[in-house]
Amino acid sequence: MDLQAIAFYLLAAVTVISGFLVITARNPVHSVLFLIMAFFTAAGLFVMLGAEFLAMLLIVVYVGAVAVLFLFVVMMLDVDFTQLREGFARYLPIGMAVGGVLAVEMVMVAVTVAANGAAGKNAAPAAPVADLPNAEAIGRVLYTDYIYFFQAAGLVLLVAMIGAIVLTLRRRPGVRRQNIGDQVARTPASGMKIVQIKSGEGLSE
Amino acid sequence: MTFQDALLLARPEVFLAASTLVLLVWGAFRGDKAMGEVSIGASLALFVAAGFAAVSPEGTAFAGGFIADGASIFGKVAIYLISPVAIYLGDRWLVRVGNGRFEFPILILLAALGMGMMVSAGDLISLYIGVELQSLALYVLAAFRRDDPKASEAGLKYFVLGALSSGLLLYGASLIYGFAGSTHFDLIAKSIEGGATGTGVLFGLVFLICGLAFKVSAAPFHMWTPDVYEGAPTPVVGFFAAAPKLAAMLLLARVLSEGFGTALEQWRQIIVVTAFLSVAVGAFGGLAQSNIKRLLAYSSIANIGYALIGLSAGSAEGMEAVLVFMVLYMIDVTGFFACLGALSRNGKPMEQLSDFAGLARVRPGMALALTALSFSVMGLPPFSGFWAKMFVFKAAIASGQWPLAVVLLLGSVVAAFYYLRLIKTMWFDAAPGQTDKEPLDAKGVAIASALFCFPVVLPALALLEPLAKTAALAFGLK
Amino acid sequence: MTIGLAHYLAVAAILFTIGVLGIFVNRKNIIVILMSIELILLAVNINLVAFSVYLHDVVGQIFAMFVLTVAAAEAAVGLAILVTFFRNRGDIAVDDASMMKG
Repeated sequence: MDLQAIAFYLLAAVTVISGFLVITARNPVHSVLFLIMAFFTAAGLFVMLGAEFLAMLLIVVYVGAVAVLFLFVVMMLDVDFTQLREGFARYLPIGMAVGGVLAVEMVMVAVTVAANGAAGKNAAPAAPVADLPNAEAIGRVLYTDYIYFFQAAGLVLLVAMIGAIVLTLRRRPGVRRQNIGDQVARTPASGMKIVQIKSGEGLSE
Repeated sequence: MTFQDALLLARPEVFLAASTLVLLVWGAFRGDKAMGEVSIGASLALFVAAGFAAVSPEGTAFAGGFIADGASIFGKVAIYLISPVAIYLGDRWLVRVGNGRFEFPILILLAALGMGMMVSAGDLISLYIGVELQSLALYVLAAFRRDDPKASEAGLKYFVLGALSSGLLLYGASLIYGFAGSTHFDLIAKSIEGGATGTGVLFGLVFLICGLAFKVSAAPFHMWTPDVYEGAPTPVVGFFAAAPKLAAMLLLARVLSEGFGTALEQWRQIIVVTAFLSVAVGAFGGLAQSNIKRLLAYSSIANIGYALIGLSAGSAEGMEAVLVFMVLYMIDVTGFFACLGALSRNGKPMEQLSDFAGLARVRPGMALALTALSFSVMGLPPFSGFWAKMFVFKAAIASGQWPLAVVLLLGSVVAAFYYLRLIKTMWFDAAPGQTDKEPLDAKGVAIASALFCFPVVLPALALLEPLAKTAALAFGLK
Repeated sequence: MTIGLAHYLAVAAILFTIGVLGIFVNRKNIIVILMSIELILLAVNINLVAFSVYLHDVVGQIFAMFVLTVAAAEAAVGLAILVTFFRNRGDIAVDDASMMKG
């Protein structure tokens, strides 16, 4: 077994195991942490394949944004999670049995695709295309042939932004907010009052 | 092709995207009191985009990812013309329930843009982006009334099942990509033609069809439909039931005919089973419903089944039937939901079947409109639904799909029962009391679409049929 | 023993199955369901990148990039809907005391 195989099996095993722990963990915070681990090791697999740029992207987008979003929501919602696990023990055995059969089938299909598909005809992993670094190779196609869809993906993110604001942003009455316009517009005349105080008397409001 | 030419082909979408951004900034500065203005602007933008689409040249752009042909132009014009109706009804309705927010027309605009991308998708990537742009906007619209527990539950169910179906669709797409070596529909077709159709690509196709079947709410992926129809705001449901179904149907037709035209026999079996199940679930499931919105959900499942029968014909005639059917159904269902949005009693929307008792005496105009629309969806001649089913029936017979043609007839007979029950309740039962005065906007749309069902449909069909015929040729089937 | 395309696809297939399983086992826990969906999308990404590398075709990686983008947007919308649901109900269980049948 060479080094590459050892690295692959290690990363693959950790990915699969942490994926499994995501769905079985008792505490959703642990689920999120296992999700992060699964993404991290999957990024390792991407590096082994020679897709460095996507590996970094996976970490930045998932670990940096999505997983933090999940953690945020898990901690913000005050939910009794033990109650949500009702029926979990009941579904698990049959789920595992069905899942096991399904997994075997899916792996068999995957192996068939690998053997017969167009992708399987090229045995060795590709050398970097024309000496271009991975990020540059992606950029050259993404910003030319796929520019339209790149912009459309921006619109998808815009929808997500609008959606999150529409659904969750609330103006609460009675909360004091900073109003920069008011602060800047303050003049000495409106902000200060000069009072003459007689000595020995003090000031009463 | 130069970049300018490509932009010219995509002019309707580019224009829509630009106007969305302008309207969004406008709304953000003016606040929710600008909702009326933004709605008018959004409707105008959609009309202009429909005009651009109608005069659009044909061709492909962006390395084959964007197709402008007869079918996509047909779909875009229909989608961009029906969306302003949803904006108009939704805008008035939300103002009435005190939830008027300027994001509503913006989200409809973005959903329409996603549908425009769906109907002109030329590869798996544009398919995915279009579907997601549309779906994400619709998830938010379903939960738009955020203070209504039913609406947010509907949004949540729709989202979870929708995201799962996108996952299935993507897994299928990735297998097809790996097997065929390309994401472009024409190259996929070529690679299938070249080699034997292996398990891998069929497996991928099954996943892909599952994902799209969810979007058109075909059985057995229909579970979300009754819940979402019941919970989501009425005008939003009217939109859900119309334009997205047409877009997803056209997309399905394009993937199957252009990407997998060489594997027709394989996908036809899947579509036949789905069509049969949809008709059965829609017809029998509707019998047990007492809530009108749930009943309409089952009716829409059955109608998608009829459209899939047209698709399973696998011929140009079948595609033409799908196009005509979906457009006529879209107008029917918009009218139905406009009626539901218009009718209320003591400020509470009328949703139970029993609420409609004696409507003919209290609100004869609305009862007449609802009756005409019901007759149409039932498929009674000479209403529009009859002509729609007629096209599908003829296409199924011509391609030798006798069993499905019989299923269509049987399904229509069973489904007729629940429309007749509604009609009987309206005309012969005693009214429990007065209803509120119906708002002019919803009433206008309801009566307009009832008039379309009959008699406007007759001249309209003379116009629609040749258009659909040329559009159907774009799919490249005989 | 060399590591080939089939190995990567097998990992993706197993992850995909875990994701689907997670949805059916955790029926009430919407947050874990959302995480299961992320696992499914991760499986898709592994598939796409592996195919892309073995096909000598960068389009697969671009597809994976789009999937990542949309997955992030999907997570944001999903969690926003979940938060509104929680505010209305004080709970995130969908099945019990459901107002709607089904």
